[in-house]
Amino acid sequence: MSSASIRAAIHTLLAGVFAALLSGCDPRRFPGSTFAPRSDMAHWVEAVYFEVIGWDGLILILICVLVFLCLTRFSTRASEDQPKPPPPHPEYLGLEVAWTVGPALILLFIAVPSLRIVFRTQQSAPPTNALIINVTAHQWWWQFDYPSMGIHTANEVHIPVDRPVRFLLNSTDVIHSFWIPAMGGKRDVVPGHVNELTFTPQVTGEYIGECAEFCGLSHANMRFRVFVQSRVAFDDWRANQAGGPRLPTGGPARAGEQVYVTSACTTCHAIAGYSSGYIGPNLTHFASRTTFAGSTLRNTPQNLAAWLENPQALKPGAQMPALGLRGTELNDLVAYLESLK
Amino acid sequence: MVALPKEITVEESYLEGGGLWGWLTTTDHKRIGVLYGLTTLVFLLIGGIEALLMRIQLARPDNTFLSAHLYNEMFTMHGTTMIFLVVMPVGLGFFANFIVPLQIGARDVAFPRLNALSYWIFLFGALVLNAGWLANVAPNAGWFGYANLTESYYSPGLNIDFWTLGLLISGVGSVMAAVNLLATVINMRAPGMTFMRMPLFVWSVMVMFVLILVAFPPLTVGLIFLMMDRFFGTHFYRAVAGATPLLWQHLFWLFGHPEVYIMVLPAFGIMSEIVPTFSRKPLYGYPVMAYSTALIGFLSYGVWAHHMFAVGMGPVADSAFALTSMLIAIPTGIKIFSWIATMWGGDLKMKTPFLFALAFLIQFTMGGLSGVMHAQPPIDLQQTDSYFVVAHFHYVLFGGAAFALLGGLYYWWPKVTGRLLDERLGRWNFWTIVIGFNLTFFPMHIMGAEGMPRRVYRYPGDMGLNSLNMLSTIGAFLMAFSVLILLINIYKTRRRGAVAGPDPWDGRTLEWSIPSPPPAYNFKNIPLVRARDAFWREKYGYEQPPTAAPAPAAAQAVEHIHMPPPSLYPILIAAGITMTGIGFMLWPRIVVTGLVLTVFSAIAMAFEYPEAGAESEASIGPATGLDTRKVGIWCFIGSESLFFASLIATYMIYKGRDLVGPTAETILNVPLTTTTTFVLLMSSLTMVLAQDAYRRTDRTWGLRWLFVTIVLGLIFLGGQVYEFASFYHEGLTLQTNLFGETFYTMVGFHGAHVAIGVIVLAVLAGASLAGWFKVRNRDVAVEAAALYWHFVDIVWVVIFSVVYLMRAIAKA
Repeated sequence: MSSASIRAAIHTLLAGVFAALLSGCDPRRFPGSTFAPRSDMAHWVEAVYFEVIGWDGLILILICVLVFLCLTRFSTRASEDQPKPPPPHPEYLGLEVAWTVGPALILLFIAVPSLRIVFRTQQSAPPTNALIINVTAHQWWWQFDYPSMGIHTANEVHIPVDRPVRFLLNSTDVIHSFWIPAMGGKRDVVPGHVNELTFTPQVTGEYIGECAEFCGLSHANMRFRVFVQSRVAFDDWRANQAGGPRLPTGGPARAGEQVYVTSACTTCHAIAGYSSGYIGPNLTHFASRTTFAGSTLRNTPQNLAAWLENPQALKPGAQMPALGLRGTELNDLVAYLESLK
Repeated sequence: MVALPKEITVEESYLEGGGLWGWLTTTDHKRIGVLYGLTTLVFLLIGGIEALLMRIQLARPDNTFLSAHLYNEMFTMHGTTMIFLVVMPVGLGFFANFIVPLQIGARDVAFPRLNALSYWIFLFGALVLNAGWLANVAPNAGWFGYANLTESYYSPGLNIDFWTLGLLISGVGSVMAAVNLLATVINMRAPGMTFMRMPLFVWSVMVMFVLILVAFPPLTVGLIFLMMDRFFGTHFYRAVAGATPLLWQHLFWLFGHPEVYIMVLPAFGIMSEIVPTFSRKPLYGYPVMAYSTALIGFLSYGVWAHHMFAVGMGPVADSAFALTSMLIAIPTGIKIFSWIATMWGGDLKMKTPFLFALAFLIQFTMGGLSGVMHAQPPIDLQQTDSYFVVAHFHYVLFGGAAFALLGGLYYWWPKVTGRLLDERLGRWNFWTIVIGFNLTFFPMHIMGAEGMPRRVYRYPGDMGLNSLNMLSTIGAFLMAFSVLILLINIYKTRRRGAVAGPDPWDGRTLEWSIPSPPPAYNFKNIPLVRARDAFWREKYGYEQPPTAAPAPAAAQAVEHIHMPPPSLYPILIAAGITMTGIGFMLWPRIVVTGLVLTVFSAIAMAFEYPEAGAESEASIGPATGLDTRKVGIWCFIGSESLFFASLIATYMIYKGRDLVGPTAETILNVPLTTTTTFVLLMSSLTMVLAQDAYRRTDRTWGLRWLFVTIVLGLIFLGGQVYEFASFYHEGLTLQTNLFGETFYTMVGFHGAHVAIGVIVLAVLAGASLAGWFKVRNRDVAVEAAALYWHFVDIVWVVIFSVVYLMRAIAKA
């Protein structure tokens, strides 16, 4: 291969890597990207991130170049491979000081901005206008309560753009971790120990949230969604959520209402005015959510019917039992739940 | 040590003779090393298959190849196996065990039968860990088994019990091996082999032994708490009782981070052997390399909470642990640069071991650099528990540790077997594994950065992760293919490989001065060491004329070389311990049998050979003049200190967090315990008197004082039984509250130590009556027991101060 074609190949490769890196920041292709910051915190984190990546890159290149030079300059051919006494091997104090002090200085450059962010992201006093949301992690779903608004929902959380939000994190069972990549990070949810995560979302949109700490059988199925909304859209959503459930207008939905109140659903679930179970998600506005079952299933009648028939098949270990509903009963219940906008 | 039971010929390899029985009862460090090596190879294959199954599952989104249940078992056992049953034991049991005595010019390790015992305990522990597979109840809570998911309410079934018990048992084996090998390095170095002349491999593993001694006790304590929660209904990790599941994380990472260096330090050591040998230059900056190794070990004990930046420790703790974590990068960087400086200006010989060393340099640097990223708490909040971390630690432990270990395998294989591994297959092995490794793990950086959490059995198809995961799976299979090449290489060269001769690489260290494979006794004449790179200097001359050194030992006739005799007791003791553990878990009926087997085998082993300990010279270290048995006890005491420190720390952390029941303030009987404390302190005095009498060979008085010590110990134990009984009557049980569980556990374990001490003293008294001490130099046994006894008394002084005095002061 000629040197020109090698150079061309290297250029292509570099261009490819660069393109891949750029596309890594494209939230449409990578909705869970940590390199698509959409909050103040995420921007701070990313700044530290890039600084460290820069220094890391330099050091890695330095080491690779040194190793490469060693190989090209000092390799022995097999024919000369005879035992012989070692060549001269001087040692230089200056060199050793350099490779001790140099890295120490680099670490200092990294540490100062990094620790500043540590303190900025963990302030003990929240911003006064922060929206407080209580998050309760369960095996394997997320409960969201807005104490100032009387809203109780699950697996999907709505927050207004450009207003600080403070999540207070609780667990009723094991340790989970509350992670919204686009918002700048995660915080563990530890039983007996209320943690908090505060940031100000800056761009409206739908974002992925995940449980990041292994929490048992269906850890992979414990996801959630974050909707950052404009002030107007958020107020609409809030007004709807704060009200009671829609009344079924007739037909299968009304029959489904009867199925709901007479079945075991009421033991674990709450629908304002109907039941007040708290083991499972609050269903008062179930149909307003785009997903369910730890945000792993699209909220469609087909998915819901499949779920009601056999929850464990879709989410291993789910605490919800199969209720043995079949045929019309099942369809009515689905119709009712899907009417709860 | 006694004379070899059979005639040996000068050049007979350690591998020959004995048959199966010989291997079961062997006490030869080289044979035990080979046993460790084979065992870890089997577990490498098992752990590798687990990894392949996981990669098949993750090759496509929402795959259903493995169930969630099976997948969780797979990743738990893959991690546990690779860490506890492959990388650590291959460094500790195979490389260190085999190479250290050869490099320091010793005929064996300090305690050959203890060495065998360590192996068998490790093996049985490993089998217990994997026994769950038989009933599909393999451990399933991750290799770090975070409480409170591991509590019986969230993890019913035997899965976690197999995990806890297997780790406890194999951990005992690791600590024993570390005690043994540390005593070996301290005390068995050949004349002239000062610390600053030791090969750097020995330096590295010496730091690793120290780390094992100080890091395993917190894990042991954490596992004991977990077992008590599961079996006895205590609440060490239960938030409802005022405790916190975070206690487990602190104990676990206090072990877990040093464990990283326990796995990596042998790799550093191997690098420091391979790089100079194949650059044909002495190691650059030897003293700085040695000190940076020690510094890494020291720092690694102060960084554990960087695994916990996301748990909400607060900004001050986050910052402190971020800074200590970053500090480790400095000595690590020094090592990387020094290896490069060693290569610079050398004559690089591109043999397979050196190729692996080169790969280590690049890959480990990458792992280290991504480690600097999540040493920053803000970045860690994005990276922790994501696939980025999976990529990071595989670069450290596979691209780092495993590549160096593979290099070490190619490097020392001719010493172990007498035959070289094939170079051509070696190169195939090298390139396929390097490419496969990067193909598997580099994409994981990106997966993590694009939001893929760890330990998920499935991921949705719309997150942009599909092709990255497929790439990773392809890489994993390439690595599997590479391991196959290695196995073929081993198989092919086993009989037909090129004969290595004693020194195939133009080696620098003492192991290359003896035949390959070495004879059972290693060195016919204990070598005299006059410089670093001792063997090289012998071949090529000294740079400066060697300074005055002790006169070389007279050449010994082979039949006068004393070698450790074989023993069946190690395997029996290990079986007894395993039986006790399994009985505890499944069939309480066999617990007593197991205990009896353990205790009686241990006592029988102590008196197995009537001439044991007869020659004072054999147990005196040539380099230190200390008795090896005492050095061993000191190492053990170092580890025990950390065990009690963990128990005491837990007591203090949980103090005052009780929700119900009697506490220290209301229940302690300070005057009574002050009296029994005084009795225990007096027993130390009588112990000294006994020791002194035996030293004067006044066995009559020695026996009397021994007897008084036993009685005082029993009085102390009696006081403790009375105290426990009266607390029980006042309503304080093990399950009542945090005070109850921490108090009973801490004081109970101390009591158990006193009880063991009483048994040891009683055995010694019996031996004394039977005239065992008539043989010269056996009083060291009393001295060793006395060291242990005094240590247990000092621990009590600390516990007494923390529990009783603090409460008395608080009242006053």
